[in-house]
Amino acid sequence: MATEAPALTVAEASLRYDRFQALNAVSFSARRGELVTLLGPSGCGKTTLLRAIAGFIPLDSGRIEIDGRDMAGLSPERRDTAMCFQSYALFPHLTVADNIGFGLRQKRLSSAEIADRVSAVAAQVRLSAQLERLPAQLSGGQQQRVALARAMAVRPGVMLFDEPLSNLDAKLRDQVRAEIRALQRAQGFTAVYVTHDQAEALAMSDLVVVMRAGVVEQMGTPEDIYRRPANRFVADFIGTANILAGRVMDTDKANGLYRVETPMGMATVRAEAPPVASHVYLCWRPEDARILSSTEGEVAAENVYRLQVRSRTYLGNLVDLEVGRIDGEGETWRIQTHGTSAVMQGETVAIEIAPERFRFLSEAVT
Amino acid sequence: MNARRTLTPYLLLIPGLAPILVLMTLVIGMALTRSVTWTDVSGNVSLSLEAWRTILGQDQFWRAFFYSARIGTLGALISVVLAYPVALWLRRPFPGSGLVSSLIKAPILVHGLVAAFLYVNFVSFQGFLNVALVGLGFAARPIRMQNDPYAIGVVILQVWKNMPLAYLILSGSVSAVSDDLLNAARDLGVGTLGRLRRVVLPLTLRSLQAALILIFIGAAGDYTFQAVAGPTNINSMAQFMVRMEVDNGLQGWSLSAVVAVMLMGLSLFGAIALAGLVQVLVKRVGR
Repeated sequence: MATEAPALTVAEASLRYDRFQALNAVSFSARRGELVTLLGPSGCGKTTLLRAIAGFIPLDSGRIEIDGRDMAGLSPERRDTAMCFQSYALFPHLTVADNIGFGLRQKRLSSAEIADRVSAVAAQVRLSAQLERLPAQLSGGQQQRVALARAMAVRPGVMLFDEPLSNLDAKLRDQVRAEIRALQRAQGFTAVYVTHDQAEALAMSDLVVVMRAGVVEQMGTPEDIYRRPANRFVADFIGTANILAGRVMDTDKANGLYRVETPMGMATVRAEAPPVASHVYLCWRPEDARILSSTEGEVAAENVYRLQVRSRTYLGNLVDLEVGRIDGEGETWRIQTHGTSAVMQGETVAIEIAPERFRFLSEAVT
Repeated sequence: MNARRTLTPYLLLIPGLAPILVLMTLVIGMALTRSVTWTDVSGNVSLSLEAWRTILGQDQFWRAFFYSARIGTLGALISVVLAYPVALWLRRPFPGSGLVSSLIKAPILVHGLVAAFLYVNFVSFQGFLNVALVGLGFAARPIRMQNDPYAIGVVILQVWKNMPLAYLILSGSVSAVSDDLLNAARDLGVGTLGRLRRVVLPLTLRSLQAALILIFIGAAGDYTFQAVAGPTNINSMAQFMVRMEVDNGLQGWSLSAVVAVMLMGLSLFGAIALAGLVQVLVKRVGR
């Protein structure tokens, strides 16, 4: 599994295009065999950073190291990286076999060795039967696998993925995503994966780096990022989050409990760390709420809220409810419950949110 | 139903293809027919291969044939070789690239005859170049450059006139090579020359061939540049064709028709040979 020496280090990477700060002191590192995802909305700098790692774009300042070697001034062809492009970038005039062997030929390996490696990699990505075809004769999923095989064949120190699944349909995307992750685990290569799809990031990554406007907003394991978002942006960008502006009324530091006044009502929050201010944002996820039965709902209990269902969306395995205060005032929140739920629009429901399901965000309400 | 579906696309092609075929057949047919007729001194016309025997037996004809082949090949190759790096350079826009691109295309707007006269004026005994060379002390007296025996002037004019055409044909396909493809090659360890050999050249081969063919056909059949600026001791095929018609009275049309058919043959097979040669070269260097 992963060792301690970082295979890739990005330190204080900054880049500016005229007045636009594309990257602002971005730092992270990837251990050998790790898959790190750069996640963020369009224009956040994730692809720029990936291209800087590949050497296509020079940094204004900062450092990129691969296996401890500073990449400053090294052209892309001399870096130990291989990229899977969003467009696949397959050479249309070459067969699948020639595409996969393209980088190997450059390394001046013998024909026999190239053939061996090409057939081995093709077998790993299940393309052995398509070796003599041209890229145009392949499906999108197969083309993606050729791009992956071409990158894998040169056995790079770091594999770079630039939104590789964005051109595939939803079902194929899930399939190729699982294949990439399985191959990455089996081969143990270090990878940096750029995506704006949070589900993809959560499903694939060892480490997620959430970016916005050229800045790292939060970095952590998928669980960390999802369960303990640092701020409103991360909470909202990763999955669906209900964000409340609250006022801390009472504190039981010994037990890590806080009484917070929110637009939904009083909330008891269990937190490991105290809130950053008395007026603070807190969040909870739609699946954190439990809809109580009518008898349960009658019993006044902590963190139980009576809310009205404003809209109901059936999603197959889930029912998505938009709920708000009974008086019809103020904001609304999202709840997700199982697909067989009979709760209908206009009904009043009692929901319960466990204290540990609330999370203080590190942002004070200003 | 299936036959109808198969036939429909071909039937739809008829309005476009038919005029082309008719016009081509007419021209080629007329030249071929005329080349196998012979008019005797009394004006009687008969079917004969006499015109072919006469032309193919002339040393001057073969000199003109190989001369035109040489001018066509040199003109096409040099135009493309010069236009290709320019197309690569202007592949992505930069400040001023539009102006450069326009300047490169400017010769298209100048008629060949005008260009030939300008060139002759420039290199003539009392022309600007000689005045400059003598004035700057590079030459003791004016050098004879007009109608040079090596046809350097004709090749220069061909390149000047055809390079914009080559650039126009090549620039589209060079621009169509995506940055991602080039970056993918870089990422796999391929340097600048390697990217040109293994990615750009193979992907632009078709337009390279198209440019070579078009320029070769035009240059091999040139009359204007040859008549104004070409060497006086040799004819181009077009020039020879005109001469045959003018100088040979009743047989003139038959003799010039033979030259015309040979010129069409030269254009066809020369273009195929040139395109084939480039294909082999590109495949070889692209390995």
